[in-house]
Amino acid sequence: MNNNTTRTGKLISIQDSLVKARFYGNAIMGETANVIVDGKSLQAEVLQIIPDPKNSDAGIVEMQVFEDLTGAQIGDQVEFTGKSLSVLLGPGLLTSIWDGLQNPLYKLGEQNAYLVPGMKAPALDEEKLWEFTPSVAVGDKVNGGDAIGTVPEGRLTHSILVPFNFGKCKVESIIEKSEVNITETVAVISDSQNTKHELKLAFRWAVKSPIPFKDRAIPSKTISTGVRVIDLLAPVSYGGTVGNPGPFGAGKTVLQHSLCKYALADIIIMAACGERAGEAVEVFKDFAELEDPSTGDSLMNRMCIFGNTSSMPVAAREASVFIALTVGEYYRYQGYNVVLLADSTSRWAQALRERSGRQGDIPGPEAFPMDIPDQIKGMYQRAGADQGTGGSLTFIGTVSPAGGNFQEPVTQATMDATGSFWGLSQDRADAKKYPAIDPLSYTSSVYDSFISWDDRNKMLQTLYEANGIDQTISTIGLKKVPVEKYVLYQKGLTIDFCVMQQNAFHKLDACTRPERLIVINEAVQKLIDSTINFAQDDKEDEEVKEMVKAKFDELRQWWKDWNLSAQSIDEMAVLPKKVEQFIFQEEYTL
Amino acid sequence: MIRKEINRISEVGKALISVEGNPGVALNHVVELLEAGTNQSLSFAKAINITEDSTRFQVFNGTQGLSTQTKIRMHEVPLTAGFSYNMLGRSFDGIGDVADGGPEIIFDKYVSTRLDTLNPTVRLVPKQPLWTGIPMIDVFNTLVKSQKIPIFAGPTEPYNRLLSQIAQGAQADVIIFAGIGLKFDEYHYFKEQLSQSGNIDKTIMFTHLAGDSQIKGLMLPDVALSVSREFADQGKDVLVLLTDMTNWSNILRNVANYQDQIPSLQGYPGSLYSELAKRYEVAADIEGAGSITIIGATTLESLEDPVPDNTGYITEGQFFLDNGKLKLARSLSRLKQQVNDTTRDDHRPIMTAMASLLADAEKAYEAAEVGAANDTFSQKLLRYREDFIANMEEPFGEPIELEAALDKCWDILKRHFEPTETGLSKKLIEQYWN
Repeated sequence: MNNNTTRTGKLISIQDSLVKARFYGNAIMGETANVIVDGKSLQAEVLQIIPDPKNSDAGIVEMQVFEDLTGAQIGDQVEFTGKSLSVLLGPGLLTSIWDGLQNPLYKLGEQNAYLVPGMKAPALDEEKLWEFTPSVAVGDKVNGGDAIGTVPEGRLTHSILVPFNFGKCKVESIIEKSEVNITETVAVISDSQNTKHELKLAFRWAVKSPIPFKDRAIPSKTISTGVRVIDLLAPVSYGGTVGNPGPFGAGKTVLQHSLCKYALADIIIMAACGERAGEAVEVFKDFAELEDPSTGDSLMNRMCIFGNTSSMPVAAREASVFIALTVGEYYRYQGYNVVLLADSTSRWAQALRERSGRQGDIPGPEAFPMDIPDQIKGMYQRAGADQGTGGSLTFIGTVSPAGGNFQEPVTQATMDATGSFWGLSQDRADAKKYPAIDPLSYTSSVYDSFISWDDRNKMLQTLYEANGIDQTISTIGLKKVPVEKYVLYQKGLTIDFCVMQQNAFHKLDACTRPERLIVINEAVQKLIDSTINFAQDDKEDEEVKEMVKAKFDELRQWWKDWNLSAQSIDEMAVLPKKVEQFIFQEEYTL
Repeated sequence: MIRKEINRISEVGKALISVEGNPGVALNHVVELLEAGTNQSLSFAKAINITEDSTRFQVFNGTQGLSTQTKIRMHEVPLTAGFSYNMLGRSFDGIGDVADGGPEIIFDKYVSTRLDTLNPTVRLVPKQPLWTGIPMIDVFNTLVKSQKIPIFAGPTEPYNRLLSQIAQGAQADVIIFAGIGLKFDEYHYFKEQLSQSGNIDKTIMFTHLAGDSQIKGLMLPDVALSVSREFADQGKDVLVLLTDMTNWSNILRNVANYQDQIPSLQGYPGSLYSELAKRYEVAADIEGAGSITIIGATTLESLEDPVPDNTGYITEGQFFLDNGKLKLARSLSRLKQQVNDTTRDDHRPIMTAMASLLADAEKAYEAAEVGAANDTFSQKLLRYREDFIANMEEPFGEPIELEAALDKCWDILKRHFEPTETGLSKKLIEQYWN
């Protein structure tokens, strides 16, 4: 390929965001191109190359354009770049807020309050100085992925890496410890062909080429998310994958925000993919004032946000998730635990659907592309733990199933692709139970919890049985249910009400850490294992049941208050004692 | 200025026309259709699909009566909407032409109807409640300035009455009414209501009646929202009433089908979500400027229909109207958390407690239908349910202030339950039970 002359083409067809252009010479599948409309340069990506039926010397490329094409005409110039869609990786990624193509939104906001097609700004701050400390010397051998030095980024140490596609290289020169910006050369290395390459603090990486693992491992360390039902019954480990489907209004957003605030991780990346702008704004405006649970810093210091919100161009939606994934992989390679929240993968899939529809592909179920399950699996596969670097990338994707129906293609493919699954239920949401994760249906996890598998199964079993009795009560009435079954039902209700549900907006109840979970589990297991000595005297069964209900109501109210108030170790320790006394039906004054 | 003209239309369909070749028109630009011979203006149209072999247009006034000899005159600009403060109190059609028989308006400026996305960084996090005097909204699903929220209702429900009741008490500088596919009596009703409440002078009505040209209905939200946006950019708090977005979606479906697009669900195009989102996302509280609040109406047969389903994922909650009542179970204001912690300290807990009891009561109600709700507590729940529906879910009537509404909540709980049965904390019980 000759780099000295720009390869160009001319538009011959325009339909929404899909265009066709005629070119002479060469075109590369997947390369990006600029479409020049009214003097503005709009970014596009080549999707397909086909012969030109009218002209055997020419070819036709089919491209999706990432911005609104109003004003585009037949004959408008297309300039091919030869490079595939890429992301700029380097210091300054954290705390940033971009659109789906890594244009920084605050910088664009200085140009115009609205996102007008053709606006651009450098992805990372080019002025900011970073204190670079070299870690290699002239003559050292380095490989792709090796660090040549570090810069401090907030409280993290950001390693400056040799791009991953480099082979064996030799350091020809490297600067002393000094302050540099991302456009300055910090080192020169030569490859086996003796070609010299300048290295800077930042480099570009193609978003559809996964950054390699050093030594991939099975995710094994449980993440404390602070959400009890997750950490007890449907946990996720560092490097794991989670699908989180739910009909609208079931609480996906509140849950995502809760994870942003409380999940223990070094870095949280949010890909706001086709969702409400207001929700992303709440994160970067309000969360900046909140504290990071592990460091006490501003929460925004551990975050970066890619916002391709629902009114932004659909074509850029697919890119936004891949860009976010690549940034996650980059920090994983540096040894950090990264959690990526993608909200929502359904919008990503819909973007693929719109595109394939315009391209005239034969549609699969619900008009999604036939290969959507493979694309979804491929995306989740990029998450994982790396024992070579000690880092991990955890991928939590929300799914927005049409009609709340979990049988639809994206939800099904996601269930197949993920290790943990948090199904939100409409019924629980309607009853204003938060989180509406239903432990009994569409919720599962292959990862270890903070409690033993035995305890986990017993807890689930009790909830199952209580649910069964609940169904019996609703169909044949309470009278026909024996007292001991009714007690079991009340136990299940208590676990559900006091443990599975929590208040996302209460400072203490919103987040439960492992040490507290252990105490809660002790109490729960006691409650499950023991028969309770209710004084039956000569009462009728119905009277006994009423008494049982009243006693349990009292316990639940006490437990709920404990959730909202117990803080110290001593205060926490009261819960198992209280349950013990409840079991023996002693008078208690705790 | 002499505008370029084309003299031959090759294809005339429902709402769409095509010409052969490429006359040099740009995407989304407007052309004018003129009667051959007389040069009388018949309609405007918009270029939506351009290739080197043919160009396709959406015709604003419909295609009835167009001939292959109808002339096409280029305007070389995208569709704009006229803007002027003189529009207040007046009625317009879907492309912003005067529709009340009154005098033409001299516009101050023309604004783009492209609805570019507002940069999220200039959005403010919404924090100001909009009180409606309706307890089901104020207590349970507080409305917030700059919220986008539809009323979900069956086609025979009084959703327009509710919309107009909310609008009458609204604390807004400008009300933009955007009606798509309305029946004449609905249009008339709104006009009457807005006049009676003294709001007509701050209202602009954009109306598309059922049977009017489909393309005009399709364009209407863009025109109305672009005008709204201009008011907000000038610092005004704007309330937009969008009714009914199901009609709009159906036009979108029709036009997509005329264009031979591959349908996804129930014939709707795969882009339905993005198309709805583009309009609803105009709602915003803008830093250094005004705000836009959107209350819509979405009629439905079932919540699983594509239009309400996609809408629910886009909007910040929904008000669910059923049998004339505003139902707690399916209603949701996603922004209520932003404002309901600074009201009275019992606001959030009582909201949660009553909702949870109502969910239990619904279960008891189902059980009762098969004769299974025979225990004492189920009986309590059933009585509570009836009371709640009659006194809390009724949206029409005298407005009630928030504090009085909260007191009313406690009264209902006291009528039916023991304190421990409510799940409310001891502290609140001590404070409010007696």
